[in-house]
Amino acid sequence: MTVTAPVDPLASPDLGRPGPAPIRLIRSEFLKLRTTNGWWLFLLGALLMLVLAILFNWLQADFAFSEGIPQDIPEDDADTFEASRSPIFQAANLYTSGQFFGLMFVMLVGIVIVTSEFQHQTATTTFLTTPHRTAVILAKLCVAALFGATLWLVSLAINVPATIGILSIYDQSSLLGEWPAQRAILLNLLAYALWGVLGVGLGVLIRSQIAATVTATVLYLIGTTAVTILVTLLQDWLGWEWIDEVQYAVPSVASTLMVSGTSLPGQPPYWVGAVILVGWAVVTGTIGTMITRRRDVS
Amino acid sequence: MSDGEIVVSHLAKQYRAVRAVDDLSFAVEPGRVTGFLGPNGAGKTTTLRMLLNLVTPSAGTATIGGQRYADLTDPLRRVGAVLEASSAHRARTGRNHLRAIGAAAGFPARRADQVLELVGLTPAARRKFKGYSMGMRQRLGIAAAMLGDPGVLILDEPANGLDPEGIRWMRDLLKRLADEGRTVLVSSHLLSEMQLLADDVLIIAKGKLVTHGSVSDVVDGRAHAGPVRVRTPQAEQLTAALGSAATVTTGEDGALLVSGVDAPAVGAAALRAGVELHELVAEKPDLERVFLDLTAGKADIR
Ligand SMILES: Nc1ncnc2c1ncn2[C@@H]1O[C@H](COP(=O)(O)OP(=O)(O)OP(=O)(O)O)[C@@H](O)[C@H]1O
Ligand SMILES: [Mg+2]
Repeated sequence: MTVTAPVDPLASPDLGRPGPAPIRLIRSEFLKLRTTNGWWLFLLGALLMLVLAILFNWLQADFAFSEGIPQDIPEDDADTFEASRSPIFQAANLYTSGQFFGLMFVMLVGIVIVTSEFQHQTATTTFLTTPHRTAVILAKLCVAALFGATLWLVSLAINVPATIGILSIYDQSSLLGEWPAQRAILLNLLAYALWGVLGVGLGVLIRSQIAATVTATVLYLIGTTAVTILVTLLQDWLGWEWIDEVQYAVPSVASTLMVSGTSLPGQPPYWVGAVILVGWAVVTGTIGTMITRRRDVS
Repeated sequence: MSDGEIVVSHLAKQYRAVRAVDDLSFAVEPGRVTGFLGPNGAGKTTTLRMLLNLVTPSAGTATIGGQRYADLTDPLRRVGAVLEASSAHRARTGRNHLRAIGAAAGFPARRADQVLELVGLTPAARRKFKGYSMGMRQRLGIAAAMLGDPGVLILDEPANGLDPEGIRWMRDLLKRLADEGRTVLVSSHLLSEMQLLADDVLIIAKGKLVTHGSVSDVVDGRAHAGPVRVRTPQAEQLTAALGSAATVTTGEDGALLVSGVDAPAVGAAALRAGVELHELVAEKPDLERVFLDLTAGKADIR
């Protein structure tokens, strides 16, 4: 039997030398995310939706690659349909499958990373540990973006074999060597990272966890469709062509635009989507940081 | 200036209609336990939060070792704090909670286990916070405050929810920390506990300083004679012997309460009159009595 002398925790403990502050903070925020069960629920949800998205995009590809243009569609739509028949458009679409719901889950994780500090009253401890609040928010932005990047990587690992398999059914090559496909995949990574940033910004603006997640989800799911419908209606009634462009200011629409393989007729180029999304992320991130710096924690 | 001295200078906080803290100035010395007392809503929590850079003062400054909390390079190595609403994520274990704090401060992971041992939480280390009792939560808060082995401790009602054993444990811990030369500032409503624990008391009411000094000075300074309690079978003879300087009332338990003269005078009078005494006690005013006197009329909820 060994007898160990009880350690006296008060006797000048060896606390080591602190590493660089940004690394410490990101490690801490990552540990916080990892030690709750929120993240894997979101990951699971995203994977489930990914499978559905691949099936849906497969259907679209099947439709596009099948013979002939349906007779009864108007000329405008026929152009769009013709453009969407290009293999590279379908390939980009398939390689970025799951984006719509994936981005939503990344946003939700960003929201939770911030709001759980208020929900569980841990903000006090967090800001005691790091009085430099901007650094805390920046670390949260990084962790949310990293979660997005991880989800992107997981999706990619599923999308690449699935897409190659689907394309081969229609005697198409993988097209992975083509720049527009590569571009779509890379910009998809940017989208995943930026939606984490958007989520953190939203979480600071709406501190209540339940209010923030519900508002964001509703805006994301219904808002996207509502804007598209509204724009179409206004365009038809008023005949304003330019209003069609307005919908690309909506972050989720901009995200879809930025990963398109080829531009459809009447669509702005892909980089417009990227610029708009970066703009949104910068605005929400900055506002969020400024608010956090000023606000009393009590 | 000492490394651990807390200096609050003309500190004020205005919330819409309420002046929560009003031109408050004091200094808290290292090596002593300072009790921070005041009625509900006096502004204790607000003061501590301003000291810790959680709430922005409307006016004045608060420094620790001459620096604002926000300017400390390694705050957890200098200051440990347990605040009223200190909490953890419900689904996170106590150990992971401490590890996340330690990671941000750059401490090794084993430090979390050491402080868990210190507060006696080792058996519950891997249990989720939502399963913790009130006292276990307080202990986790104290563990977090001790992570960086700080020279300054700031605690807001840490005894809340602790059992008698826990209160005693905390008293010993805080006394020991002060003996080691650390600064200990602790707010509480448990006045009898404070009388046992604190070296100094700092009393505020309605956001303003009422008194600050050593417990003995504050209590004895008001010792313009508490009553003397006497028990005797010959009450009438004693009353007559005491003369007109003394006021005598009969307490509920039959003992006489004599005020106006001190205990030796009562004893001498009894001896002269040949009165038999069964009990002779000079009742010292306690911290509770003094606190209630000093804050009388200032304790309304604002
Ligand atoms: N965030 C806030 N917004 C508005 N008023 C506040 C806020 N925080 C505190 N107050 C007010 O400031 C005053 C002081 O509150 P504080 O919490 O500092 O008192 P306290 O001394 O800690 O009281 P207790 O003993 O009950 O904990 C109270 O009147 C309270 O209502
Ligand atoms: Mg309080």
